[in-house]
Amino acid sequence: MSTQLDLKQIERRAFRSTYQDGLWDMYFGLTVISMAMFMFRPVGGYSPVNMILALSGFGLSYMIFWLGKKFITLPRMGQVQFGAQRKKRRRTLIIVLSVVVLIQVVLVSLQLLAWANPEVGARFSSLIPDRNVMDLIVASIGALIVSPSMILVAYFKDFPRGYFIAVMIALAVFLMLYLNRPVYPDYYRSADRPAWPGAVPALPTEVPSAPGGGTS
Amino acid sequence: MSTPAKNATLSSLAEVDRLIHEPARLAVIALLYVVESADFIFLMNQTGLTWGNLSAHMSKLEEAGYIEVVKSFKGKRPNTMLRLTQAGRAAFQAYRQQMKRVLDGLSE
Repeated sequence: MSTQLDLKQIERRAFRSTYQDGLWDMYFGLTVISMAMFMFRPVGGYSPVNMILALSGFGLSYMIFWLGKKFITLPRMGQVQFGAQRKKRRRTLIIVLSVVVLIQVVLVSLQLLAWANPEVGARFSSLIPDRNVMDLIVASIGALIVSPSMILVAYFKDFPRGYFIAVMIALAVFLMLYLNRPVYPDYYRSADRPAWPGAVPALPTEVPSAPGGGTS
Repeated sequence: MSTPAKNATLSSLAEVDRLIHEPARLAVIALLYVVESADFIFLMNQTGLTWGNLSAHMSKLEEAGYIEVVKSFKGKRPNTMLRLTQAGRAAFQAYRQQMKRVLDGLSE
């Protein structure tokens, strides 16, 4: 029994050593920084430029991860291929993540639909008339969209720090959406809607002093 | 423990595969047992052996048919991966069983 445990420990230590280079942490950190810096700006709101900048940030994060792995850490740490169990775990991760991404795509599509069609948006909004509750739900959905992926990655990749990163990402998205909530109610009343469906104008004049502060 | 039982334990200890029993080789084989394949640098980092030391042990294990060296190219760079053969896996399993029997048979 103890022999079996030791072998498991050897395997786990070998597996975990492959990401002790910190590149995963850098990758996720840079991704969150890109989201925080570019995805949404209180003055400009969402815009194609913001999206392009955010996507460029994601691309740059991945490029740093990939180049660092290929040219810095792999030549020094060596290469290893893990057994059937890890491969099975990886396949399961891919399947589960695909399902999660599909759900996320559906949720984002619904959001875009609501932005593009004010009637549909109003119908969604009418489901929950209390704006405070609505803002809280929107922020929670945003946080729930991003955190499961990271939790799944942490679980299947045996990456304990990933759980912490997942909590941080969820908190960042939640606060980003919740603190910028004047964007949502006033958009539907705005006469000059942006030409691009995803470009939502923010309120440049008023920033809430506290999360609970409303605009209406 | 009675004398015949003690003798049986000691005789089975003498039958232990000495090629695997050596600590450095045991570390290498245990590591290769839990992964599919690994390269030289990875084995060096995990076991703490030097290049020359590891190379000598690998030669012995390869001669015994316990490991195989898979040489390939990744782009233009040569890539040498090491993996445990079926014989190596069987030998390691037999070694584990034997050591367990021997150690379980020893009284305090």
